Amino acid sequence: MQVQVRLFATYREIVGAGQFAWTLRDGTTVGQLVDAVLAKYPRLVGHGKSMLLAVNHEVVRPDVVLREGDEVALLPPVSGGDR
Amino acid sequence: MIEIQRARIDVEEVVNSVRRDDAGAIVVFLGSVRLDPEVQALDYEVYKPMALRTLTELVERTKEKFGVLEMSIAHRVGRVPVGGDSVVIACAAAHRSEAFAACAWVMDEVKRIVPIWKTEAGPRKPRTRRH
Repeated sequence: MQVQVRLFATYREIVGAGQFAWTLRDGTTVGQLVDAVLAKYPRLVGHGKSMLLAVNHEVVRPDVVLREGDEVALLPPVSGGDR
Repeated sequence: MIEIQRARIDVEEVVNSVRRDDAGAIVVFLGSVRLDPEVQALDYEVYKPMALRTLTELVERTKEKFGVLEMSIAHRVGRVPVGGDSVVIACAAAHRSEAFAACAWVMDEVKRIVPIWKTEAGPRKPRTRRH
């Protein structure tokens, strides 16, 4: 099956693209997809721990199983910042 | 109203969108791009469908939590020059105390959970800036 992967800000700059399709086996989880993306783009690895994951515009945990056509977003921290 | 837009934000339009006869207070917050050495503007990037969804949920949660009557949020994306407003929040309530509290709380939440990122634009190399 195929899903769409979206990247933003720092991640988009590192990978050089904001969106690409990714083919994976049925039953693949979001976490497994992220591991595969990180293996292809090692410069993202240092960001893995602070990465937020969303499927179809909703934040999810890595153990969520993906379905055909899902949109998976790898989100850098939005940063709390100064008041 | 919830808006994510490239164009300048019309503050009066945002304020008017929350006016109600039973509101005795309207608090307005403007988040502006401040002057900083080496910074000429901020570039805002958004994951729009998720940001719209998050903002809509956030407004509903804020209204419930503080008992405010109406709340509108407009956020700019793209390049915003120094002095420009990047975010405008208007909050209407029966009394000013809940309007102030709700406006302050929701702005913190916008910075914490809404997928909008910014980069400094200036003569030097761009770098991510915290809000």
